[in-house]
Amino acid sequence: MSLFKTEWTPDEADRWTIHDLLACVFGVLAFFLVTVGLAGSILLQPWGFVCLALSVIFTWLTFKVIDPKLRTLSDAFGEKQAGYLEDMERHNRWEGDDAG
Amino acid sequence: MNQTPAISVVFTPLDWVWVVLLITAMIACGVIFYRLGKRSESDFFLAGRGLPWWLPATSVYATHTATDTPMWICGTIYKWGMRGIWFPFFAAWTAISAFVSTRIFRRSLAMSQAEWQNLRYSGLGAELLRGWLAGWQTFMNMFVLAWVSAAMGKICTYLFAWPNWIGVIAFTSICAIYVLVAGYWGVIMADFQQGVISFLVITLVSVWGISVAGGPSGIVSRLGEIGESWRLNPFHFDGFWGLDPNLFYTADFITLLIMSTLGGIGMGNFIDWYPEAQRIQSARTVRDASYSIWAGGFVTLIRNSVWAVAILAFFVMYPALDSEAQYEMGWFRLGFEHLPAGMIGVFFAGIIAIHLSTISTHLNLGALYATRDLYHHYINPEASEAKLVKVGRLNTLLLLLGSFLLGLTMQSITSWLIFALWLQAAGIWIPSLLQVIWWRFNSWAYLSSWIANLVMSWLVVWVLPALGVLPELPNWLNFWLLAALVSLVYLPVCFLTEPDDREHLVRYYVQARPLGFWGPVHAEAERRGLLTVKGGVS
Repeated sequence: MSLFKTEWTPDEADRWTIHDLLACVFGVLAFFLVTVGLAGSILLQPWGFVCLALSVIFTWLTFKVIDPKLRTLSDAFGEKQAGYLEDMERHNRWEGDDAG
Repeated sequence: MNQTPAISVVFTPLDWVWVVLLITAMIACGVIFYRLGKRSESDFFLAGRGLPWWLPATSVYATHTATDTPMWICGTIYKWGMRGIWFPFFAAWTAISAFVSTRIFRRSLAMSQAEWQNLRYSGLGAELLRGWLAGWQTFMNMFVLAWVSAAMGKICTYLFAWPNWIGVIAFTSICAIYVLVAGYWGVIMADFQQGVISFLVITLVSVWGISVAGGPSGIVSRLGEIGESWRLNPFHFDGFWGLDPNLFYTADFITLLIMSTLGGIGMGNFIDWYPEAQRIQSARTVRDASYSIWAGGFVTLIRNSVWAVAILAFFVMYPALDSEAQYEMGWFRLGFEHLPAGMIGVFFAGIIAIHLSTISTHLNLGALYATRDLYHHYINPEASEAKLVKVGRLNTLLLLLGSFLLGLTMQSITSWLIFALWLQAAGIWIPSLLQVIWWRFNSWAYLSSWIANLVMSWLVVWVLPALGVLPELPNWLNFWLLAALVSLVYLPVCFLTEPDDREHLVRYYVQARPLGFWGPVHAEAERRGLLTVKGGVS
């Protein structure tokens, strides 16, 4: 499976895949690196600029790897949302099958 | 409050013009959405679930930039040097949450975390859990309002030598105007404006302070001259582990890192999760929800770094402060003691923006729990939308009054925040993950973990050390000790009680598609034809 897969079916997008894991790992790295990198850069430390540049790269990778999948699953879920909301309101009003 | 020495800040007429203009703009920005806010319960508390990602993202950032935040970050950086930046790093939970718990929670469509408990669990345990969390969150939001207002009181005492109660009450009351009128629509629109203002002001004041301290190279060389260069190193720790609560160990760093990143898999394990849950549901799609949480957390960390360097600048100018009450005001002193005349008003208006964005969120959020989860679900399930909006406004007002009473009694900001943000979440940190990733974890186990944690966190952190039964422990050890002690309660409870109703679990699974150990529920959903062979929703 390609790491930068751009075409997803709703069924594929609903499953947890390596793309979710990679988005999490890249995201954490971006957060970690921007924290030390920005502070270091403001203090004009060479390691700060390196970390900041890496943070930008990991941010880009995060969205590159997850955005097509998120778009597909968002669209698919959006089509079902109205029905789910009706069920939830019934439940909140104690009208559902297992409402309490 | 701890007494902070007042300074003499001169406000010129131009400064007051800035303050009045910006306050007026903030209130107008909220009030203008009056008609949208009163349409329904969903509009009053979630802006109709239709927001593009950048609006809740700005709100995530703005909400978590409160008047107490610079005091807390100043307190940690001044005391620990750059390694103190790992305390506020807990905002990084959004990096994983954006693609895991945010997605699952958004798909559940629950209006609040308490309602989610009712969708995830079933039966009496779920109802008790929902009632418990709703009551707890109503109180916690009042508590947050109180400590943020207390911080504002402290700033006003410091600036104008006003009695504490004026700062606690005055600005929070201004904010209540647009929250009462427009609900979450007012909150989110004002947050956008306040988020932009606060980010610009934080950058302006910090850069100004750094410049006054001699610029980046001046700070570095001055730290070297006074033998404090270690403060530049975010990885300067006092050994791998130890028991001295006044030292910063690698074990503290590792604990903070694990807690802040892996915590994103869970729901409800951070105090921040609860306002974020509201922002997640107000986003128009799952994708918008994910990006709003990710971007909000990212900008928050950028803010932390800018602040951290500004506090180092403050340290080199005032290196000998030994009272927490004095040095936690460092960033404010940079602005008020060093900005030129005419800019002081901009800074104070920025502080008001910072204050209002947090206050507005917690007023509306506390009212959400009191209205949706207590009133609507338990007291009057047949209430009309108009009635629910009215009750929402009444609850907002009650929270406001309660926060004033609490806010006038609070002491040190930094100590409160380390307890509330970290240690008070220690015992429920693992259960909050388990409820997301493990089908067998049931409502009784989660409820018992909450109760056990509340009792044990107070005992271990405050009561037993005060009585001399336990020594005062370092933060990292407190965290893991509480996690272990609480597990002695919820694990037996989990295995001694029945799993949740299978029908209920299948319904939740098909809609929310949680990750982790859901094999039996997945198989049942598949057997019923609710999933395709590949695992997608049919």
